[in-house]
Amino acid sequence: MADWSYIPQVLVSGLGIGCVYGLIGIGFCVIYNASGIVNFAQGAFVMLGGMITHMLFARNGVPLPLAAVIAIAAVALLGVAIERVVVRPLWNRKATMFVMILATLAAQIVIERLTLIAVGDQPKTLPVFTDRPPLMIGGVAIGFQLIWIVGGSIAIVGLLAAFFSLTKTGKAMRACSINREAAALQGIPVSRMLALAFALSAALGAFAGILITPTQYTAFNVGVPFAISGFIAAIVGGFGRPFGAFLGGLLLGLLQALAIVGFGAGLKNVAALSVLLLFLFIRPSGILGAAK
Amino acid sequence: MTISPAITSPERRPLRLAGLLPWLFAVLVVGYAMVVGGYAATVVSFALIYAVFVTGLNLFMGFAAQVSFGQNAFAAIGGYLSAVLTATYGWSPLPAMALGIAAAVLTAAIVGYPALRLKGHYLAMGTLAIGLITYEITVEWQSVTQGYMGISGIPPFGIGPYEITSDRGQLVLLSLVVAASLFAAARIRRSRFGRALSAVAGSEEAAVALGIDVARYKLAAFLLSAGFAALAGSLFVHVVGFVSPEVFGLHMVIVTFTMLYVGGIGTVVGPLVGALIVSLLPETFRAFKDYQDLAYGAALILLLIYAPRGLASLFSPRGRS
Repeated sequence: MADWSYIPQVLVSGLGIGCVYGLIGIGFCVIYNASGIVNFAQGAFVMLGGMITHMLFARNGVPLPLAAVIAIAAVALLGVAIERVVVRPLWNRKATMFVMILATLAAQIVIERLTLIAVGDQPKTLPVFTDRPPLMIGGVAIGFQLIWIVGGSIAIVGLLAAFFSLTKTGKAMRACSINREAAALQGIPVSRMLALAFALSAALGAFAGILITPTQYTAFNVGVPFAISGFIAAIVGGFGRPFGAFLGGLLLGLLQALAIVGFGAGLKNVAALSVLLLFLFIRPSGILGAAK
Repeated sequence: MTISPAITSPERRPLRLAGLLPWLFAVLVVGYAMVVGGYAATVVSFALIYAVFVTGLNLFMGFAAQVSFGQNAFAAIGGYLSAVLTATYGWSPLPAMALGIAAAVLTAAIVGYPALRLKGHYLAMGTLAIGLITYEITVEWQSVTQGYMGISGIPPFGIGPYEITSDRGQLVLLSLVVAASLFAAARIRRSRFGRALSAVAGSEEAAVALGIDVARYKLAAFLLSAGFAALAGSLFVHVVGFVSPEVFGLHMVIVTFTMLYVGGIGTVVGPLVGALIVSLLPETFRAFKDYQDLAYGAALILLLIYAPRGLASLFSPRGRS
């Protein structure tokens, strides 16, 4: 049976991965709020964030911060490209929700396979951002990468909050999420907001991918598990509530860490998916939503 | 949304030659494989197994317009039960297959009852989760499934000492199973049950107003669909003689959806035509093996955008709904 003395240590690392799930969950919400679409290609952004940074840094010697910025910009552009090439034509044709899901899932597979062809199937990693021994706090080791992950995530969440409440563009996006037709009547360019939502969501995913890659690894096929965890985070938080999604991500990260201690690492995805099913069946509106 | 043809009164139409074209295509391909045998027979056998699976998918998604990304779970349950019972416990294939299908339908009933109350994205994600959980279990439950190693030495179909081992024999068997499946699908489509499903597909509120027990019909369609999936899974393991988790992974979801859309969602012959086309095309481009999933994904996107009713419906006006 498991050794429970590891619990505090395990919870700390669960918190780190939880922040990443939370960021991915926010990415889902940003697109969903702007358009009512659930973008199943979200995982591709996470994978490409880590992958492009690795390619620039390890193969071409670009300094890590610069590589990260370039990767985030490139993935944001890719988000816009997916919106233009895949989502927009279906959107114009008023395709059903299901067709939209299938098309974005297919886009995920296409990006995955292109990555496989371009860089091969070997896992890639990045160095930790600050290479120093971990801090010891009450017998719990806290690595500097964890501090980067938690700090970076909280900073991004704060920036997003400021963006949505202070800037005109952010307010316009919120108006779209409340009522698209009314927003259009106010002169808000709804379709441009959709493209912007994809760019923002892709950048968030890429950022999450870059943060987590030094502690794990990245490979062409890590996207779907990350996307599903992010989706679970969004569901747990009440779909469409970005900050609920972040909270949901933290909860999921902690639960998953406990599941690893209790049942072994192999079943961590089963545990996460079971949380999803439980929430879907019992409380689909999430912890923050009103019970229906 | 126009009214589906199945709930308008059936009128006699003049026999349309164009409507027969997809059938003719299917018969020609299977006939060719039967004559040539060998590798062609193997490829077409796989296509026929997929056709059974996609026929089930089509019942749930085409006829009843519901969403499930997790049908591979039921194929895995049917396939693995068949494999374990025959290879590990020495059962003969037919009872193993029957038990596999029963277990898959039972699982579908247990997860379907709560899952089908979900709508839209929730239903899509819930069913996707069911498929992924099953995949993870087939990987992790090594004492039974042997993980990624897979189970080999699964016996072919047969009764007593008579086993179907030749390529052509299997092709005949699979053709009969597919013919029976399509016949069943055609009968279901025109039955009271099928008309109820197309009413549910048109508008759930209107179906309720017509006195249709929507939840019950959805669940029934889901169970039927799971039964077809389990049948396909079981057929696969006995024809190939080997099973591993990848067989029923996310790849299967994408490939079968491509088949459904290529053939034409909601038609009777569509699943067969789609399965044959999607299985044969990569064979002509064998050199580009790495590009297959890429091609499936890209083709699926293009189809969804430019030909959302599939290729078979271009021939068959009855398929439009």
